[in-house]
Amino acid sequence: MKIGQQSQQELRRHLGWQGLRWSIGPFIIHLRAKVPNFPQFLHTFYGENLLLSPPWDDIADFHLTLHPPLGLRRFWRPKVHFRLDGNAFFTPFPLDHAPPLFEWGLNMAIASRSNHYLLFHAAVLEKNGNALMLPGTPGAGKSTLCAALMLRGFRLLSDEFGLYCPQQKRFLANPRPIGLKNESIDIIRAFDSQAILSQEFPNTRKGTVCYLQPSAESVHNAHNGATPTWIVFPSFQESQPTYLETLPQATSFLRLAANAFNYETMGATGFECVHAMIQSCSVMQLRFGRLEEALSQLHTLTQSTQPTVHT
Amino acid sequence: MNRPHPSPMLQVFQQPERFPELDAVSQDLVLRQSRRTHLLGRLEAILREKGLLDRLKPRVRNHLISARNLVREDRRMLTWEVNRVQRALWNTGLEIILLKGGAYVFLDLPMAQGRPVADLDILMEPKDFPLIEACMAQQGWEQAKLHPYDQRYYREWMHELPPLRHRVRMTELDIHHTIIPKTSRLQPDSHLFFSSAREISGHPGLKTLAPTDMVIHAAVHLFYDGDFDKGLRGLLDLDGLLSHWTLDATFWPQLLPRARVLNLIRPLYYALHFCHRLLGTPIPETILAEANADPQAPGMMARVIMNRLIARIMTPGNPDRLEFTSWLAWSLLYIRSHWLRMPPRMLISHLTQKGLRRWRFDVRNRRIV
Repeated sequence: MKIGQQSQQELRRHLGWQGLRWSIGPFIIHLRAKVPNFPQFLHTFYGENLLLSPPWDDIADFHLTLHPPLGLRRFWRPKVHFRLDGNAFFTPFPLDHAPPLFEWGLNMAIASRSNHYLLFHAAVLEKNGNALMLPGTPGAGKSTLCAALMLRGFRLLSDEFGLYCPQQKRFLANPRPIGLKNESIDIIRAFDSQAILSQEFPNTRKGTVCYLQPSAESVHNAHNGATPTWIVFPSFQESQPTYLETLPQATSFLRLAANAFNYETMGATGFECVHAMIQSCSVMQLRFGRLEEALSQLHTLTQSTQPTVHT
Repeated sequence: MNRPHPSPMLQVFQQPERFPELDAVSQDLVLRQSRRTHLLGRLEAILREKGLLDRLKPRVRNHLISARNLVREDRRMLTWEVNRVQRALWNTGLEIILLKGGAYVFLDLPMAQGRPVADLDILMEPKDFPLIEACMAQQGWEQAKLHPYDQRYYREWMHELPPLRHRVRMTELDIHHTIIPKTSRLQPDSHLFFSSAREISGHPGLKTLAPTDMVIHAAVHLFYDGDFDKGLRGLLDLDGLLSHWTLDATFWPQLLPRARVLNLIRPLYYALHFCHRLLGTPIPETILAEANADPQAPGMMARVIMNRLIARIMTPGNPDRLEFTSWLAWSLLYIRSHWLRMPPRMLISHLTQKGLRRWRFDVRNRRIV
């Protein structure tokens, strides 16, 4: 049964009692929540995810709770607390900001417990079985590009994490709502009027945040990974000409290693993975001033299923 | 005395063969409790040693591998930090005594496998402190706590210098001169630690405490330091040390006499008692009886109360709930550890200072989110 096939009433009842479990790619989430508007967010933005019904025969990777505080703070400027295994990691958010709190909390949970994968801070999309990774620094345009590519038919693996599995030598999928910030919200709204966006959450520590629903195809194929093929470092520069350039291997190595959250934790495996990636992928830098120009460059690049292999 | 009912997690630590047979719900609970008590990496090492990892579901194994990678990073960090401290002190010719995790790793004790390490603790003679501090400052270590109250607190009252942090690597270094705060009622003669420290074979310039002192230090750290969030880990450390040094025939006969000389029978009594009671550590009956009968061992009242409190906090509960009895036990033990740390007047002034600073910090940093 999909989350979207349950009524919001039922979702609320389960969330408040023994919790809901569903899988997102390699992870199983167990969430309990007593927050008024949250079932609605779940219904729309995780609607295509399959619920796991009890009795559960596997462990959950993350046991999460979203709860309002006890006592009078329930009424006066009410807040919501996020906990992972009973531990609070964030200062509480206002009660109506439960969705960003959940998304960031889940990011933190994944980042802190997935040291069996090499974790890149990157968006990853797939075309014909090949993965395009867009490693990002804040403001580089990673999420905007990722949203636009998904809306143009690329399959979304992840907007936040490049989950590289050292055994399979592939990226694993972890498709979730794409977090758009500030200016990129209106850019995406103008880019595709059909895009399903959440309400805007103003005044967060990242400014205004809004979520874009992942495409149904991405969620349905979340068990399929993709082979690393193109690695493109985006760099948005207002009204500058767009060009795509190949990066030298040494630069590629350093930039990729610096981009991975847990490069040092992974030890020799981290080194070997990055080495394998620069050997088998085209590593490039994309400077762009306009979204359409960037998309057209990436479209051309990913048309060729045979990537350029460095020698 | 009958033993309290062991939790599933403690059962797994004692009989790892049982872990793969448990159902998913129990395995989940054991993983969560282990993670919460900083023992997930240790669990992985135990299961790996028994060749049990391949019998686990991939999802369970992934969590263990993730924990393994984290503790391996800790170990690399620790080895490198020791190397850097040696380099910083090279010209001084001083010998470095590694404490706690550092000692366990450099002696390659079995219980160090999978044990996380957060920082490096070393023991040095106070007469060398000005020289050591100058060398460390020159090589990039900075004061981690700049507040004048903290500086005074450490320098005047504690058993260590204010913690140092390396400017680039951000790793913490604690330089101790003894193992228990200066203000504590128990005052061992710290010269004894230095005179009986032993060289680590294969690592010139590095030393560890003598086996007896290492056990006594771990006991003091667990029962007098108030860091009960890592309580179970501390008890398993003691269990590992005792089980390891049993192989040395001179260890048991020396242990209690040494604790008497150091005036540290009381913490050692608790260590032996709770290892035996909660973990079933193999301790000779004669040693238990002798510790029990020692005039410095805790009185009946203290034993009854400590039995209840320690058993409570050493048994991890439901990770989703803060159980009232755990909270109460934890709070009482926290108060106890401060009580043991310093005389009452000083304690009141210390807590007032800390409380005021926290309150001012909260007021200053009040964020409307």
